[in-house]
Amino acid sequence: MLTISTTINGSPQDLTVRPNQTLLECLRDDLSLKGSVEGCGVGVCGSCTVLVDGRPVSSCLMLATNAAGKAVTTIEGLSQSGELDPVQKAFLKHQAFQCGYCTPGMIMAVKGLLANHPHPTEAQTRDYLSGNLCRCGTYAEVMAAVKELAEE
Amino acid sequence: MSLIGTDVTMVGGIAKVTGAINYAPDLVLPRMLHAKALRSPYPHAKLLRVDASKAEKYPGVVAVVTRDDLTGLNPYFGPVVDDQPVVATDRVRHVGEVVALLAAESREIAEEALDLIQVEYEELPAVFDLLEAAKPDAPVLHAQRNETNAGVHREEFNFELGGNVCSVFRVEDGNIEKGFQEADEIFDNTYTLPPVQHGHIEPHAATAYWEPSGKLVVHSASQNPSGVQEQLAQIFKLPENQVRVIVPPLGGGYGGKTHARLEPALALLARKARRPVQWVLTRDEVFLTGRRYGAVVKIKTGVKRDGTIIAREVQVFYEIGAYALNGPVNAKTGCYVSSGPYNIPNRSLSTYSVYTNLPPTGPFRGVGVSHVCWAYESEMDDIARRLGLDPLALRLRHLVKEGDVFVTGEKLVSVGITDCLQRAAAAIGWKGKEEQSAPPAGKDVVRGKGLAVTIKSTTTPTTSSAQVRLNADGSAILLTSSVDMGQGALTSLAQIVGDELGLPFEKVSVSFPDTDITPYDKSSSSSRTTFHMGQAAQKAAGEIRNQLLEVGAKKLEARIEDLELRDGAVSVRGVPDRRLSITDIFKARFGSSVGSMFGGYCFKTEGGLNARTGKGKAAAFWFFSACAAEVEVDRETGKTRVLRIVTAVDAGKAIHPKQCGLQNEGSMLSGMGSALFEEMVYDNGQPINSSFLEYMLPSMEDHPAEFHSILVETPHPKGPHGAKGVGEAALPPVAPAIGNAIANALGGIRCRDLPIKPDKIVAMLDALKESR
Repeated sequence: MLTISTTINGSPQDLTVRPNQTLLECLRDDLSLKGSVEGCGVGVCGSCTVLVDGRPVSSCLMLATNAAGKAVTTIEGLSQSGELDPVQKAFLKHQAFQCGYCTPGMIMAVKGLLANHPHPTEAQTRDYLSGNLCRCGTYAEVMAAVKELAEE
Repeated sequence: MSLIGTDVTMVGGIAKVTGAINYAPDLVLPRMLHAKALRSPYPHAKLLRVDASKAEKYPGVVAVVTRDDLTGLNPYFGPVVDDQPVVATDRVRHVGEVVALLAAESREIAEEALDLIQVEYEELPAVFDLLEAAKPDAPVLHAQRNETNAGVHREEFNFELGGNVCSVFRVEDGNIEKGFQEADEIFDNTYTLPPVQHGHIEPHAATAYWEPSGKLVVHSASQNPSGVQEQLAQIFKLPENQVRVIVPPLGGGYGGKTHARLEPALALLARKARRPVQWVLTRDEVFLTGRRYGAVVKIKTGVKRDGTIIAREVQVFYEIGAYALNGPVNAKTGCYVSSGPYNIPNRSLSTYSVYTNLPPTGPFRGVGVSHVCWAYESEMDDIARRLGLDPLALRLRHLVKEGDVFVTGEKLVSVGITDCLQRAAAAIGWKGKEEQSAPPAGKDVVRGKGLAVTIKSTTTPTTSSAQVRLNADGSAILLTSSVDMGQGALTSLAQIVGDELGLPFEKVSVSFPDTDITPYDKSSSSSRTTFHMGQAAQKAAGEIRNQLLEVGAKKLEARIEDLELRDGAVSVRGVPDRRLSITDIFKARFGSSVGSMFGGYCFKTEGGLNARTGKGKAAAFWFFSACAAEVEVDRETGKTRVLRIVTAVDAGKAIHPKQCGLQNEGSMLSGMGSALFEEMVYDNGQPINSSFLEYMLPSMEDHPAEFHSILVETPHPKGPHGAKGVGEAALPPVAPAIGNAIANALGGIRCRDLPIKPDKIVAMLDALKESR
């Protein structure tokens, strides 16, 4: 077991993790942060997306030890004050989800997109979010939510 | 303002955008163990020895179940035929079949200990090809079926004995031979579809434990709480009230979670471990657990020179994998619609469900219908092309209309299909015959448009029941076993209840399924929830409404007909001062401002088909849709790009238009995936693309640049507010609409084998060049 110092949703933490433990396992099993979920286990579906130092990462592929010294933000970190994040509000307004399983990952990817490209074109949005799969197919609504956020 | 037809915020929406929903894999119980399965590496083998004794002694392992643990149980189960073992007994019939299930303190320990289970197999000849499997000399999967139909507990199918053909369904109209004799032109083609994945991003997951009293509790991501309860009660020989099934919101279903999958073996394991056990599948295990049927569709059509279709013969073989699951239902549901939503005087339709040594299948959005629609809608375009007719006009001329008698002998009600087709065609800018004109020469990239329509039944007879409880403060809760799997059922049901009780939307909540609390429902499948549970909920709320109005009439000294129930109060119509709040009514009725009023209703649809003749009443309601697509095909690379898709669905009445549109969007994308690239591939029964790296789901980049969802509203006289189901409606015509668009782009060259991948297009164009 290894001990790492990291920041999870703004709060500094010392975590004891197995060398082969993924960040997703650490978030879900050790910290009970269940908003990030596993869909494919191979970094393709995007449902485990979290921000690491502001960049979207598939937490099913990243080892927990690699989070040492970094700041991890999960979906639970977005509305800690009780106020929804603008991205969450836009998703609600456009009903940019159905079953909701991919939604936390999708929202974190949108956070990454907007941090990188505050005013993305539709092509940029499609390209950036193509690694977040939604089998319910609610892509047009996600694009509408992003469009509105980009115009703000 | 009425709640009906309003886009209220989805029930559970805030929990979904904050990640606060607890899906089945998120559940944690005290002392919970983790399960892992040992699966067969062989597609067909005798099990000579299964020995878990070493694994049981491994530190951290608490229990292992194998065939030795089935004593005293009913060891076989299934929704139609009891042919699935809880864990493999004498043989395995597909790669990935569960031979043993192990519970350990952690997933890692469980994984490590699996290797210690010793199994000896003796390989048996296996069969994977659908048509080979149907032959009399093929290796037989279910040898016991040679003698008996024991275990068949659904009577509306024709079960075959002896070989791998599980069931047959037939229906006829007119005189097929005479019809073909009178035809001027005969079209005779074969269409194929590979298996595809449901692709729910949440894998199958369940947690089970036994209470000290002997009651079994299962939390499961299931579309079918009542069905899972029934099957577990049967396997463990328990009364149904000793089996409690709790269903959280699902991370997608699309049919893939309709039947018991993990629950039986998991319940057995939890009983042996005497602790809660959770089992969450990995993605490659999901590929071994369920999928859509592959199929071969043979379709022959006799046409008069003026374009009148006078005869159609369809034979469909559905490949159902190693166990029946709902294969016979699928084959039946596909059969009577296999000639399409058309009036054709002479028809002979037959469908077969066939076992193979491939992993199990199950219902998939558009159950059985996507397969036949792919065939009959491609044929419609070929017919129009050869006769020089407009494919739109040819369809319109033959489409079923209100009151027409269908091949099953029943009158069709609420038939909005002509509207669907006309509106979809208009939205894509359909120009008639010229859409089939030759593509411009010399250009690599060509465009084409295509149309397709579909008809599907929602099975009858089935039952849904609901209870509504009104609290004295004017808030209500609907108790229902309908499952939230993203379709928004709980939202539209809450709208229906709120409307009936005159309550604002915020005052109505809806339970999750919990069979200890919520009453029986057939399942959240077959696009049936709005129609069936909607009516049960409406009538349950109606009982409370009647109680409120009766008390109100007495207290307000008015006739019931003069009262209205709105904004949480009963008042005399036109005299707003004469009103009683719900709390006032509770006081009047019970002498207290606390308490509950109850309403309950069990809604059952009538009908069913005669298995011998195929005649009777097939549908609680029929649903209809049309699709129009425009594509761009690169003749050099064979790559197809979908530019525009329009889906038009007859919703009856859209209770929540936005959610109906989302259902159409999801159907459209799933249909597009199976049209162009989705395909499960096997090598000797071994899946070779069982991860999302190799099996592609449509991503945001695949979403067409333009997508329109049109909702046609042809009220159904029996639907709540006229509503029908929309969950599956848009899917079946997507693949043929895209196929027709590609054929029109390429001057009539047609691929009859899904998916239409670039290499197939290139091969067709090369073959054409050579033939010239």
